[in-house]
Amino acid sequence: MSTTQETRRPINWGLIASYAVLLIFAVIYAGPLLMLVNTSLKTLPEFMKNATSPVASLNFSNFAEAWTKANFPRYLTNSLIYTVSATLIYAVTAIFVAFPVARGYIKGANFVLTMFVIALFLPPALIPQFQLMLALGLYNNPVGYILLFTINPIGMVILVNYIKTVPKELDEAAALDGAGYFQFVTQILFPLIRPAVATVAVLHAIGIWNELILPTIYLTNKDYYPITRGMIVFQGVYGSDWPTLAAAVLIMTLPMLLIFLLMQRYIVSGLTQGAVKG
Amino acid sequence: MAAYHFGRGRNRLAPYLFLIPGILLYLIIALGPSLATAVFSFTDATGIRGAPISWVGLENYREFLFLGQASQDNYAALWRTLKFMFFVTTIQFTLGLVVAILVNQRLKGTNFFRTLYFMPVILGAVIQGLIWSLFLYPLGGPMDNLWGFLGLQSEFFGAPAPEAFAWVIVVQIWANMGTTMIIFLAGLQTIPDEVYEAARIDGANSWQVFANVTWPLLTPSVNTNLLLNIIGSLQAWQLFLVLLGYRNGTQVLGYLIYAVGFGRTSGSVTSAFRQGYAAAASIVLFLLVLVLGTATQYFLRRREERILG
Repeated sequence: MSTTQETRRPINWGLIASYAVLLIFAVIYAGPLLMLVNTSLKTLPEFMKNATSPVASLNFSNFAEAWTKANFPRYLTNSLIYTVSATLIYAVTAIFVAFPVARGYIKGANFVLTMFVIALFLPPALIPQFQLMLALGLYNNPVGYILLFTINPIGMVILVNYIKTVPKELDEAAALDGAGYFQFVTQILFPLIRPAVATVAVLHAIGIWNELILPTIYLTNKDYYPITRGMIVFQGVYGSDWPTLAAAVLIMTLPMLLIFLLMQRYIVSGLTQGAVKG
Repeated sequence: MAAYHFGRGRNRLAPYLFLIPGILLYLIIALGPSLATAVFSFTDATGIRGAPISWVGLENYREFLFLGQASQDNYAALWRTLKFMFFVTTIQFTLGLVVAILVNQRLKGTNFFRTLYFMPVILGAVIQGLIWSLFLYPLGGPMDNLWGFLGLQSEFFGAPAPEAFAWVIVVQIWANMGTTMIIFLAGLQTIPDEVYEAARIDGANSWQVFANVTWPLLTPSVNTNLLLNIIGSLQAWQLFLVLLGYRNGTQVLGYLIYAVGFGRTSGSVTSAFRQGYAAAASIVLFLLVLVLGTATQYFLRRREERILG
């Protein structure tokens, strides 16, 4: 930090204090995760004897047990279907709203945008949404469940702001070359706004994958449970068998960690943009 | 309206046509139900399909606010929601700022620390909750050992209500501090190095640099974080569901709405769905968020005018 040249460099207390604080936080953040990994590799008697001791010999049988007993293949498949289909529907429909709004190609473009932003400040839609789904016969129905996740106001704001940075001249030039509206949006605009679409899609998908409340409300059939609800059920049954439960939590955590490490740039930019603009 | 290049006449309708699905979904699933919450709060709606729904006027509100022991419990939940908001906001805001300043320095390993602190944000309440249930395992888990070492004793999430409640605050902050940090970090990175250098040349020490340079220039992120933390923590309750369940003495308003509206007050789905009553409670929470959010925004605007002229 200080660039003064001295013969004997003084001890940089600021630097030491910085690292000390960062390391304390690192322990608080990594500790619970390490405990999870450690526990997942233990046998139950080992865990009962000493919950915290480092694992003596690696024991991977918990993972196999959790995988079959927790009905993971089914729940993971359900979560994947819900997340992918809802995110796809959302992304496609949102782009076709965001583009004409950003460009002013429709009457009342500003009004439409305000309408999306305002939802962030209105009462929760929980109760009437349920009444609606009930009336439509979409209760305990995967299609109805997916429909609930096809909107995202913050994502809309991010998309509109990003599309505004694409030069308008491009529209005119493409139209002169004979491109139609649909063709322009799908083949010319889409590749240009891919970073924003990736950001919005990742944030949206993470939200669906992690959703716990809506599956407890809308899905009563076990065959429809996503992984979050399945995990809670599994905890109810295997709550005291922490090694198996830890292995199950780890199986559920790994895809998220992977997505996080690969897409961190998009996630961070989405959160900061959404926060500042929203 | 802007000049449109993709044809005239019938072709001019293309933007409208392709916009319809997105708008319809939004109106039907989000905006419509959100506004209808107010309407349902005046009814005795249940969760039974086809059951008649009748108007009850202000009855739900009267019951929520004034009727016997239940209303006392509601006020307790309301007060708890405010406590949760206060502790989560102040602690998360402060820690997020400190950590953001630390990882914004030109130090080795800051990328690693940033990634680590931010990671819980994407894990979701189920994983966050279960990880901490294990970390706070009361029979010789890591925290239990530390507590024993300090001569303390705790059942953590199994402790009496006020203490269990405090542990949920800890997990809530652990889970979301990363977002606060990232927003502060984005703010810190907009402050040019020259400003710091000028302050140093003027002989300012670290604290003076922070108080007179960093803090005022950070105003936009301060505003964002404060509002996000306040509104977010007033509405957050998923961790309560995972960590404690619907336990007396720990409920916050958001959880109460869910439990009453979807019959989860007794742990399993046995009690009746009191959807009209839950809608009224939703409106109470909404008004709380509205009042506190608006007041905060007003306070922040005035502060901003004072600082930035």
